[in-house]
Amino acid sequence: MPQSSQAATASPAELEGVLERVKSARQAIVQELRKVIVGQDGPIDQVLVTMFAGGHCMIQGPPGTAKTLLATCIARVMDLTFKRIQFTPDLMPSDISGTEILEEDQTSGHRVLKFAKGPVFSNIVMADEINRTPPKTQAALLEVMQERQVTLGGRTYPLPEPFYVLATQISLEQEGTYPLPEAQQDRFMLTISMDYLPEKSEVQVVRHSTGAETVALQKVIGGDDLLTFTGAVRQVALPPVLSRYVVDLVASSRPTVEGCPDFVKEYVAWGAGLRASQNIALAAKSAAAQDGRATVEAQDIRKAILPVMRHRIGLSFRAEVDRVSVEDIVRRLVEACPEPKSN
Amino acid sequence: MATETTAAPMQVELLAKLCQGRERILREVRKIIIGQDQIVNDVVTSFFAGGHCLITGVPGLAKTLLISSLGRAMDLTFRRVQFTPDLMPADITGTEVLEEDRATGSRKLVFRPGPIFTNILLADEINRTPPKTQAALLEAMQEHQVTVSGTTYALKEPFFVLATQNPIEQEGTYPLPEIQQDRFMFSLLIDYLPKDQEIEVIDATTSTAGAQPEVCMNGDELIEYQGLVRRIPVAEPVISYAVALAARSRPTEPGAPDFVKDYVSWGASIRASHYLVLGAKARAALAGRPHVSVQDVQSVAYPVLRHRIITNFRAESEGISSEEIIRRLLEAVSPPKSGL
Repeated sequence: MPQSSQAATASPAELEGVLERVKSARQAIVQELRKVIVGQDGPIDQVLVTMFAGGHCMIQGPPGTAKTLLATCIARVMDLTFKRIQFTPDLMPSDISGTEILEEDQTSGHRVLKFAKGPVFSNIVMADEINRTPPKTQAALLEVMQERQVTLGGRTYPLPEPFYVLATQISLEQEGTYPLPEAQQDRFMLTISMDYLPEKSEVQVVRHSTGAETVALQKVIGGDDLLTFTGAVRQVALPPVLSRYVVDLVASSRPTVEGCPDFVKEYVAWGAGLRASQNIALAAKSAAAQDGRATVEAQDIRKAILPVMRHRIGLSFRAEVDRVSVEDIVRRLVEACPEPKSN
Repeated sequence: MATETTAAPMQVELLAKLCQGRERILREVRKIIIGQDQIVNDVVTSFFAGGHCLITGVPGLAKTLLISSLGRAMDLTFRRVQFTPDLMPADITGTEVLEEDRATGSRKLVFRPGPIFTNILLADEINRTPPKTQAALLEAMQEHQVTVSGTTYALKEPFFVLATQNPIEQEGTYPLPEIQQDRFMFSLLIDYLPKDQEIEVIDATTSTAGAQPEVCMNGDELIEYQGLVRRIPVAEPVISYAVALAARSRPTEPGAPDFVKDYVSWGASIRASHYLVLGAKARAALAGRPHVSVQDVQSVAYPVLRHRIITNFRAESEGISSEEIIRRLLEAVSPPKSGL
């Protein structure tokens, strides 16, 4: 579940002020990122939606599609610490969270156990190829993600705030991978899909990357701003008709629910859970806040549906045979569930 | 982004110097290494482009000698690490050891840099070591720094990794995942010498003590030349051609030829386009030319694409290699007409 901010509830006037800041921060961040990242406006947008809502995200896509670049650039413009962990079959939980080492006290000469913090003690952790590592190590990361603290030898070490995990999964070599269980995937707010660029944009990227010029990114906001923003996002209002719509839409993806469309019964093995509705609502609030609005509109919901649902629907064998993708299912769900008329 | 079309006069002078420097390096290395011109050329190209190489070949083909000789000719420090199943990340990056101060008697942790703190690292038989250790090397390779117990140490510049993979004895090896191979600029194949050259080698190695290559360049000059390589202008159609070569190898791409859709499970990434252009720039610069031609791109197509095009099961059963796919791609993608 996304992190909740400790920020106190703001009055409507204060909220308006914060939302103005959110809006201008977003514009400035996007402008900075575009200096370095070409043609990935959709993914940039979605990463910001997640981060302003305090959530974690999964990024999927073929190698070399600027996934790490996006994460490092975001860390720079938001002035956050960044660590990348390459997940391998022999990675251990302590390689992530840290370990205790024996150290000598300079003054007394006594030896004491000291906690050497692992790479998870960072504002942004990029968990690269998370499905390459065995379940125990995956679970260690997911537990830290959930609890925002590491407990070792009876002592608890809190993680820095804010804390975000951006995870990537490989689809290339199915052999020797350990797919994340559904319940674990559910902890990620959304899945961002990054794809190859059109050839014209790739030409632009290559001209730049093989040249001699370097671009320095400017810091736009800091970690404290982000915490304030996440607090404000939660105060954005969600009209009841829209929350009703979200719940109906998500419920219609469950093959066991009465009245679900026929294609769901045919193609879906398991549908999206409660976290899907929560995260669609939260992502929509985040999108509204970034637009400077204090109320969610239907367009915010529309944008959030696919990235939130993408990793929360399991396809049946039949779907695989008929080459039906999760994207197809989500699209048909949206068609089948009419959006409430806005007024 | 400035798009230069002509090179500045100073650049032309520097190019001429680079071209001479390359000639001298090759001459020195040939004193020691017989044959293997292609490999020597490709490794030199990757040095001036600032990229790392993956070298596949059986043992005993003078890989170590070749690379150490190149290192000596360019006045670069050289280290070789034999990768083994029990090698740990700290064996590469370095580790903290408890040291006692003689004077005061107090002990403290001191960082002992690992073999990665060198200009050229020969990572021998990288596929013999488990993934976590491989990942430690690849990470350092990418970032040019290592982090031990929260402190970050910058590696020496220039920094090159030449990793070798042994194609035989697959048992007990940990093949580098395809995605991680993508971090190497070039994949080079080294093979047995033709018989007459092998005779030459035997004559040379069994007679009196070997010659030493003379220093022809140093690391700082090399870094300067790397900057020069990046400043070589490239015309838009040449970049488009390089991108087309990489993009058409992706079976999901709408414009991909049928043989790609039939035989390729995974095509070349955008890093391929990047290294095709950067490699072509280095080739042009090393030849003393202030512009990049289509031939320059073609001349690096095999080493850049070889490890980035993954063929499928059908290709394997029909005996179609990634080399064959590259050959067909070079035929299928038409170069720009302007005659560059």
